[in-house]
Amino acid sequence: MKPFEYISAKTINEATEVLKVLQSEARIIAGGTDVLIELRRPNAKTPQTIIDITSIDELRGISESNGSIILKPLATHTEIQKSNIIKKYAGLLGEAASVIGAPQIRNRGTVGGNVMNAATCADTVPALVALGADVTLQSVAAARTMPIVDFFIKPYKTQANPDEILTEIKFQKLPRYAKSSFIKLGRRNALSISRLSVATILLYNDAGKIIEARIVPGAALPVWQRVTEAEQILIGEKPSTKLFEAAGKKVSEVMISFTGRRWSTEYKEPVIGALVRRALEKASNYNY
Amino acid sequence: MKKIQITTTINNKPRKLEINPNQTLLDLLRDEFGLTGTKRGCEVGECGACTVLINGEAVNSCLVLAPQIEGKEVLTIEGLAEKGELHPLQKSFMKHDAVHCGYCTPGMIMSAKQLVDENPNPTEEEIRTAISGNLCRCTGYVQIVDAIKEV
Repeated sequence: MKPFEYISAKTINEATEVLKVLQSEARIIAGGTDVLIELRRPNAKTPQTIIDITSIDELRGISESNGSIILKPLATHTEIQKSNIIKKYAGLLGEAASVIGAPQIRNRGTVGGNVMNAATCADTVPALVALGADVTLQSVAAARTMPIVDFFIKPYKTQANPDEILTEIKFQKLPRYAKSSFIKLGRRNALSISRLSVATILLYNDAGKIIEARIVPGAALPVWQRVTEAEQILIGEKPSTKLFEAAGKKVSEVMISFTGRRWSTEYKEPVIGALVRRALEKASNYNY
Repeated sequence: MKKIQITTTINNKPRKLEINPNQTLLDLLRDEFGLTGTKRGCEVGECGACTVLINGEAVNSCLVLAPQIEGKEVLTIEGLAEKGELHPLQKSFMKHDAVHCGYCTPGMIMSAKQLVDENPNPTEEEIRTAISGNLCRCTGYVQIVDAIKEV
């Protein structure tokens, strides 16, 4: 790696003050599982200063408050996977975190890094979009909050300015009777990047009919979003393989309407449909 | 480039260091400390050959920036044996012929150590998940899983 200065920030303010001066000449590091790879690339754009935020205690933790879950950006994928709060109120997020990389990656990689890096294959993002999360960014001047679905511009590009850091991810707890799932398709069972993924949430009424559905594919669309055309198919219906297949087919159509027919479409077209069906089945079979 | 002062513990020995920040923990362990038991494999976090424990958690040392061990306890394969006596994992790996070329072995054992320290009676599935970040090209993993089961 080329030379750079290193600062270990102890407070949010310390980090943002440095960013205010250096802007894109500084780079934030947390778990390092993305940053180190980039820094070690030949012809890497080496920052003037690396700001290590892992000592900022205010950026740690997973907690509940008034019906919401507050996820701090330094929460590692292991912590999310093991969290009882997440298991109870946001099961799909725990499932997503549990299939990232491998234990060594999960012990270091953070949800904040996953979101800020905004790789197309990021696994926590479809779950967070399905959960309707908000993200809060902070600079020296101000803090601002926006829905995560609006946060992404394109792969590896978010709305965050160079002088801002992510300080919080917040979402409403799912009701106790909500069913959710996350499915990842990779080239291997572990240590793999998502080729395609699907996050789903289902809510039923007492008669066993679906009253709310959220479907967010990953690594499939230009940016993450709920596929409402597919969700509509499920509303008012009882779960069945045929129903879930229809939703899968619709997601596939919507994906192609965005991407057009590319070299990978022959593969992705049936596969995303099948993954959506499997994810919905997995969610509907989930028992607490 | 300013050198960084860090206080850390490596294999149970407290250390005060002054280091260049632009190196990985893997570089520091091998090149500064001569602890070459931890191996360079892919150096992008996809093989696990560089696995060490930081505060008891298995991590890819190729993805840890050296200054990030400030205030932490680092354990490498060299730190497992106590007073010349091999760790039960090391003995079990030998007994079960889980070491062929040996290149994956230090990383494998460190991942296994986190598992057995946290979960004394893991299921086979839990063992396989614990080592899912460690690639082995020689054994086919069965002997490794058996070795870990016995500990």
